[in-house]
Amino acid sequence: MAARSGTSSLLTAITPEAIIEAELSWIASMVLFFATVYTVLKLDVLWAAFGIAAISLYVLPIISTRNPFRALPWEMTILLAAPMLLHISSGAGILLEHFGWWRHLTDLAFALSLATIGLLLTVELQMYTDVRMNRPFAMLFVVMFTMGISGLWQVGEYIGDVVNHAHNLASNRQVMMSFVWILVGGMLMGFVYDLYLKAMSENRKRTLGLIHLWEVPKWKRD
Amino acid sequence: MEERLKLLSRAMQAGTVAVAVAGIVTGNLTWVPAAIIALFISFIPSILRHDLNITLPIELNFWIVLALFLHVVGGFSGFYNTIPGWDHLTHMMSASLIGALGFVTVVIVDKYVESIHLPRPFLAFFILMFTMAMGALWEIMEFANDSLAHTKLQYDLTDTMLDLLFDAFAGFVVAVLGVHYLLRVSADHFVESLNVDEARDKIVDYLQKRKDSA
Repeated sequence: MAARSGTSSLLTAITPEAIIEAELSWIASMVLFFATVYTVLKLDVLWAAFGIAAISLYVLPIISTRNPFRALPWEMTILLAAPMLLHISSGAGILLEHFGWWRHLTDLAFALSLATIGLLLTVELQMYTDVRMNRPFAMLFVVMFTMGISGLWQVGEYIGDVVNHAHNLASNRQVMMSFVWILVGGMLMGFVYDLYLKAMSENRKRTLGLIHLWEVPKWKRD
Repeated sequence: MEERLKLLSRAMQAGTVAVAVAGIVTGNLTWVPAAIIALFISFIPSILRHDLNITLPIELNFWIVLALFLHVVGGFSGFYNTIPGWDHLTHMMSASLIGALGFVTVVIVDKYVESIHLPRPFLAFFILMFTMAMGALWEIMEFANDSLAHTKLQYDLTDTMLDLLFDAFAGFVVAVLGVHYLLRVSADHFVESLNVDEARDKIVDYLQKRKDSA
């Protein structure tokens, strides 16, 4: 009984904007979820790991606060899911054959997604551990994380190629161009997320109840 | 132990000088600039110690000299072409060096910036990411150099991927060693032993004097 009244008071406290915000985010997370299930079923190891990591970061705040409205901003969730969709959709293969720049676009999408995971890591590490960062350090971390993971990723792809006698990585040139685009995307997102956090309205920050950690004024370690 | 490492460092610096001299004498100038630059870099820790009283750990100092020495002597003696895997060896040496310097920097940042606190497990993760990121940047640089100046720094895909694999390995080892080191010597103690405090005071003093005189 007590639990039920608690739930209803929770629901009445939620504004219509918050509900729309959360619904958009849930829809985006479903895309991420089914894309991940697909890669797991296809035993696409790297992408499955990527999807599971992204989903874990998505559900962690929801589970730990037992509040489904603590969902990530929907635009971040879409960025998380985008490279997986580009990777698994059959249309992507055709586009890849016909347009040379399509590969660069997918690399860029991958960078945006990796940078998003990096940013979520900085936020959630501060929520759940005693790691503390200031903004410049966090932005540096986002760029570094994007580059570092993409380095490990290419090695992973290469090992996969050797083990499976496949040729997913065509040439040195192609891998290097991926790196260049991922560097561009990572650095871009470092700046973009800095501006994004500054530009987000107080109202929305409160609704999300997640990003506010950045704004702890003059946080100091004891 | 310390004395021996110091002696070895000096011997390797002498070896680098020998490469420069031998190159000039025999007219084989390809590796002379590299030798001179390497020699200069290998003296940077001494310069830091002399001017700012910053003392890097003796092992790190040794590692810097060793990496430079292997690169220059190997290049001059043609080991890059004759000994298989030599380039991966030197690549791994420099990757671990970058990782170690990143480690020292981030521990100092952790100590001096109030709003940053980095527990040891995160530090380990950070070092691995840092080393990999630097490795990827290095490969981009080699690729750019090859494309623009038509050099041949990257052989093929396998070679590049092995470089990155060794980067990952070096980053992992440095992360483990670094965190292990901080378990034995506290971060505060470590930063104190570097004498960064004194160096900061000196730099602040210097800037103040310049301001006053201007």
